Amino acid sequence: MAEKTYKWVGTRQPRPDGADKVTGRARFGADFDMPGQLVGKVLRSPHAHANIRSIDTSKAEALPGVKAVMTSADMPDMPDEMAPAGEVMVNLRDVTRNVMAREKALYDGHAVAAVAATTEAIARQALALIEVDYEVLPHVIDVDQAVAEGAPILHENLRTKNVDGAEDTLTNVAARIQFTKGDMDSGWSQADVVIEHAFTTKPVHQGYIEPHAAVASTTEDGQVQLWCSTQGQFNVRGYCAKLLGMETSQIRVTPSEIGGGFGGKTVVYGEPLAIKLSQKAGKPVKIVMTREEVFRGSGPTAAGAMDVKLGATKDGRIVAADLNIRMQAGAFPGAPVGPACMCSFACYDIDNINVVGFDVVSNRPKVAAYRAPGSPVAAWGVESAINMLAEKLGMDQLELRIKNAAREGTKTHYGPTFKDIGMAATLDAAKNSPHYQTPLKPGQGRGVAVGFWFNIGMDSSAACHVGEDGTVTLISGSPDIGGSRASLALMAAEELGVDYQKIRPIVADTASIGFNFLTGGSRVTFATGMAVVQAVREAIDELRARAAKLWEVDVEAVIWEDGCAKPAGSNVGDFEPLSLAEIAVNAGKTGGPINGHAQLNAQGAGPGFGAQIYDVSVDQDTGHVTVDRCTVVQDVGTAIHPDYVEGQLQGGVVQGIGWALNEEYIYNDKGQLENTGFLDYRMPVASDLPMIEPIIVEVPNPNHPYGVRGVGEVPIVPPMAAIGNAIAGATGIRMTDLPMSPPKLSAAIDAARVSEAADD
Amino acid sequence: MAKVILTRWLARQFTAGQIEHQVPGLTIRALARELEYRYPGIIKHLEDGVAVAIDGEIYQNAFLEKVEPNSEVAFMPPIEGG
Amino acid sequence: MRYVAPSTLEEASAFLVDANGNGRVLAGGTDLLVQLRAGMANPDTIVDVKHIDELMTIKEEADGIRIGAAVCGQAMGEHAGLNNTWPGLVEATELIGSTQVQGRASAGGNLCNASPAADSVPAMIAAGAMISVYGPDGHRELAVENFATAPGKTNLKEGELITSIKLPKPAEHSGDAYLRMTPRTEMDIAIVGLGVALTLDSEGTVTAARVGLGAVAPTAMLVKEAGDALVGSKLDDEALERAAEACRKACNPINDKRGTIEYRTKIAGVLLKRVAKIAAERAGS
Ligand SMILES: Cc1cc2nc3c(=O)[nH]c(=O)nc-3n(C[C@H](O)[C@H](O)[C@H](O)COP(=O)(O)OP(=O)(O)OC[C@H]3O[C@@H](n4cnc5c(N)ncnc54)[C@H](O)[C@@H]3O)c2cc1C
Repeated sequence: MAEKTYKWVGTRQPRPDGADKVTGRARFGADFDMPGQLVGKVLRSPHAHANIRSIDTSKAEALPGVKAVMTSADMPDMPDEMAPAGEVMVNLRDVTRNVMAREKALYDGHAVAAVAATTEAIARQALALIEVDYEVLPHVIDVDQAVAEGAPILHENLRTKNVDGAEDTLTNVAARIQFTKGDMDSGWSQADVVIEHAFTTKPVHQGYIEPHAAVASTTEDGQVQLWCSTQGQFNVRGYCAKLLGMETSQIRVTPSEIGGGFGGKTVVYGEPLAIKLSQKAGKPVKIVMTREEVFRGSGPTAAGAMDVKLGATKDGRIVAADLNIRMQAGAFPGAPVGPACMCSFACYDIDNINVVGFDVVSNRPKVAAYRAPGSPVAAWGVESAINMLAEKLGMDQLELRIKNAAREGTKTHYGPTFKDIGMAATLDAAKNSPHYQTPLKPGQGRGVAVGFWFNIGMDSSAACHVGEDGTVTLISGSPDIGGSRASLALMAAEELGVDYQKIRPIVADTASIGFNFLTGGSRVTFATGMAVVQAVREAIDELRARAAKLWEVDVEAVIWEDGCAKPAGSNVGDFEPLSLAEIAVNAGKTGGPINGHAQLNAQGAGPGFGAQIYDVSVDQDTGHVTVDRCTVVQDVGTAIHPDYVEGQLQGGVVQGIGWALNEEYIYNDKGQLENTGFLDYRMPVASDLPMIEPIIVEVPNPNHPYGVRGVGEVPIVPPMAAIGNAIAGATGIRMTDLPMSPPKLSAAIDAARVSEAADD
Repeated sequence: MAKVILTRWLARQFTAGQIEHQVPGLTIRALARELEYRYPGIIKHLEDGVAVAIDGEIYQNAFLEKVEPNSEVAFMPPIEGG
Repeated sequence: MRYVAPSTLEEASAFLVDANGNGRVLAGGTDLLVQLRAGMANPDTIVDVKHIDELMTIKEEADGIRIGAAVCGQAMGEHAGLNNTWPGLVEATELIGSTQVQGRASAGGNLCNASPAADSVPAMIAAGAMISVYGPDGHRELAVENFATAPGKTNLKEGELITSIKLPKPAEHSGDAYLRMTPRTEMDIAIVGLGVALTLDSEGTVTAARVGLGAVAPTAMLVKEAGDALVGSKLDDEALERAAEACRKACNPINDKRGTIEYRTKIAGVLLKRVAKIAAERAGS
C-alpha cells in the first residue's frame, strides 16, 4: 500500500474529554445521583461453596429505612442454553446465578441478597439482619485439583462438552476443545531436540481504578433509566432485559465516564440488582461496589495450568508443537480457552501442531475478559518453552523466533491461512531496535517474547450532525476508555477537511444512537471508526448535494476538498468554493438539517502481532526483580493518535509486569480471599517501572479506510514470558509458575545454589 | 468450490471426522445450507456463536458475506476481547 | 462521634479519660481515618492533638533531639539537625506511604498504631530512642522497644498519650541506617524492616551497636545479640554472619499473605548485613 499523508490522522491532538478529566469535572459511575435515591448494598457469601437452604429477609424488611430487599427469587430463572444478550452468546442460567446465587453459593463474595435503604448505615445494618441458612460444602480453588477425581462438584448439571460418553459423568470440566494441524508422529520423528515442561499462571484482576457503580431509576409505567460504568451500555441493556424479563426498549442505559475496564466491565453485576430494587422500592437505587467487593465479587481473568512440548531440528526449525491447557473459568463455565488455544502457536509457522484445552469451573469468582483473554496465559508457557528451546539449540532467542515466524501463507492450527501480516516486520523492528543492539550490563538478563491477538470488528453505529455554524457533533455508542473520542474525531476531521477542534465527539446512551457492541477486543477505532467514516461521508454527500442545489448543477459535478464544496472541473462553471459553514448556515433553505448516519458490522479486522524486550536485574539475595529497560514493538496498522497507541502499549506492559512479578489471589484454607485491596494485591506502582519505550510498526490494514488494526490487546500477551526469559538470563533459573515474586524466586535461587554445591 | 474447514469437534459430531470439505456456494449462508444438506443438524453450529475466516480474514456474524470460488472458509470459535 | 481539638496536654488527657476507653488520639490520621472508613474503629471521641505545641515541634536539646509525637514525616525530613545525626531514622520515616501521606503521618502515630511492620520503629529502637508519655499520673518515660506489647497493642494506659520521642546525641563516628524489604518499591508494607545504629573507633572497629528488627514477630524488637556480635569487629564477613544469624534466630514470624516464615527469616539476615555496612559507612565519614 502506498504511503498516505494525512493532515489530522497521526497527529497528537488534545483529547476532547481531557479538560473535564484533569479538572475533576468528568462524571464517573459513582458521580451520578438522583433526588430521593436509595443506597443499595449486596450481601455476599462468606463461604466458598455452600448450599443455600433458606434466606429469611423479614427482619431486614422490618428495619425502619429499608425500602426493598431482594433475593434471586425476585428474578425469573433462566434456561440452561446459550442465548444472545447484547450480541454476546451467554448461558443465562449461569448469568442469573452469578448475579445472585440461587440454590448454591459458589465462591466467597458471591451475592446472595441485596437491600435498598435510605442511608448506607441502615443498608449495612439490614444486611446483617438477613439470615441465610448455609450448608457448607467442601470447596476447590485450584484448576488441576478441580479436575482431579473426587473433587467437590460445583454443578450437578454440568457435563463435558465435546467428549463422547460424558453424559453420565459429574464433572467440573465444562468443555474440551482441540485444534490440530499436520501429523504429530511425523513431527516428533523429525525433531532432534525436544523441550517439555509444565507451567502455571495465577488469575489476576483487571485492577481498574473505578469500582463498578450503577444508578437505576424506574417509573410507574415500567420504563427504566440506568447510569453505570461499563464498556458497553448496549450489552448492559441486553443482559438486564433478559435477566429481568423486560423489553430492551424499556431500558435506557447511559454510560458514565469510565475509570478503566480492560474487559472487566463487559458483564453485569449490580446493574440488574439496582433495577430490581428500584422497581420494588419505587425510588432510584444506587449501588457502588467497594474495592473489597470488586476483588471478591467481580471477574478476574482466567488462570491456566499447562504442559508444553516443542520439537525442533538441529538448525532451529520447529517441527512439532503440543499444548495441553486447563483453564480456570471460576464458578461458571466460560474460560477463554478457545482464544488461548488459537493464539498459542499463532505467531509461528509450524507444520505439526496439537492443542487441547479444557474449560474448568472452581470456587472462585466467574472470570471476565481481560485484555486478549486467554492469549497471555498460553503465551506464558509457549514463549517460555521457545526460550528453553533456544537455550538447548544454542540459538539467539530472537533469531529462533524470526526463523519460525508466521508469515503470509502460514496456515494456522485453528483453520485460516494468514494473509499479509506484520509478524516478520515486528521481529525485524525488535532486532534492529536500539535496545536489542545494546549489550547487557553485568548481572542483567534479557528476555524476548512475542504475542498475537485477532482484533475484532462487530456492530457499530455512528452519526454526524452538522450544526448551523459548520461545527460537527460526532455521535457514537462506544464508551471511551483509551482515547477513542480523539481518534474518531481525527478521522472525521480528515474526511471533512475541517479543523479537529470543530468536531465534538460524544458517547451516546442506548436510546440516542443505534446499537454499538461494547468497547473491547481492540475494536472501537477499527469498527466504530469505520462507522464514523461512513457517517461523515454520508454527510459530505449531503453537503455536496446542497452545494449542487445552490449552484444549480448536478451533484456529480461537485467534489468535496479541504473542507469545501468545489466544482469538479472548469466546465462545471465558475463557482467560489463553499465552505462547510457556508453550506450549513443555509441548510434550512436547501432541504433541512445536514446529517450523516451509518451502521455496520465491521469485518476484516487485521491480526495484531507484538514483540517485547526486557532487561532485568535480580537481587540474588532477596529475589527481587527490577525491570531496567523495556521496549514494546507492535504492528498497529495505522496509529491514528500516536499518544493513545503508545498509552495502550505501555499500559498493557505495566499490567503484564504486575502479572509477571507480584499479582495473585491469596486464599485461606476456607477458600476465602485474603488480599482484597491494593495493599496486598500488588499491582506495580510508578517507581516499579522503567520508561517503556514503544516502537510502532505500521502495516496498514487494507480493510479499514485509515488502515487501523487494533492496539489494546496484544501488549499484555508477551510480558510474563519475556520477563521470565530475562530472569532466566540473569540467574540461569527457569521460573515456571507465576507470579515470579521475591519469595518464590529467592527460594528457587537458593535451591539452585544447594544443588550446585552438591554437584561440586 | 470453496474449501471449508470445520473445527475438530464439529467434524467429530457431524462429518465422521472430516475437517476439510469442498463446498459450492457464493455466500456463507449458501455454504452453510449446502453443509446442512450433507450433514443434517450442523447448520445451527455454523450460523450462531461462531466466527468465520474467509481467506484468512475473520468475520463475526457472517451470513451474507461473499465467498470467491477458490476461497478458504474456516469456521472457528467466536472471539470477544477485553 | 465527637471531635475535640485541645491545645494542652492536660485537656487532651482529660478528654481521653472522659471517653472511658472509647476515645482515640488523632495525629496525622493516616491509620485512624483508614480504620474508621473500614469500620474497624468506632470511637466516641476523637482527640486531635495537632493543636498542642509540644507535640508539633522538633527541639534540639543539649543531650539530643526531641521530636513532637505528631510531627509529620515531611517536617522530620526537612530538619537539618535530625538529618545530620540520625539519617537512618529519617529515611525510615520517609518510607512511610507517599508524598501525600508524608505530609501527615507521624512517628507517634506509627508507634501507637503498633503494627509489627511499622517502618520508623526499628530505626528508633536502633537509635536508642526514649518515649515520653503524659497521662493522669503525670509524665513517664520508656524505651521504644518496650512500648508495643502485641500487634495493635501498646502499654499506654487509659488517658495516656505520647508527647515526644527523644533521640540521644550520638557519640562521634556514629551512623545509622534502615532498610526494608517490600515486593513493590513503594506503597507496600515491610516483609522485614531492619535498623542499625553503630559507633566506630578511630581504627574502624565497632565499639557500640544496636539492631532493631521489625515485621518478623508480634512487635518490633531490639536484637541485642546482633548488636553484640558486631561490637569488636570491623564488620568482617564472620561478624556479619554471626549478627545475621542472631537476627534470624530472633525471628518469630507468621506465614501470611505478606510473606512466608522461611522468606522473612532469611531476609532478616540479608538486611542485617546490608544495613550494618551502610551505617558503618556513615559512621566513618
Ligand atoms: C497509603 C498509606 C501508606 C502507608 N505506608 C506505610 C509504610 O510504608 N510504613 C508504615 O510504617 N506505615 C505506613 N502507613 C501507615 C501510617 O501512615 C503510619 O503508621 C503513620 O506513621 C501513622 O501516623 P499518623 O500520625 O497518621 O497516625 P494516626 O492515624 O493519627 O494514629 C495512629 C494510631 O495511633 C494513635 N495515636 C496517634 N498519635 C498518638 C499519640 N501521640 N499518643 C497516643 N496515641 C496516638 C491513634 O489513636 C491511632 O490509633 C501507610 C498508611 C497509608 C494510608
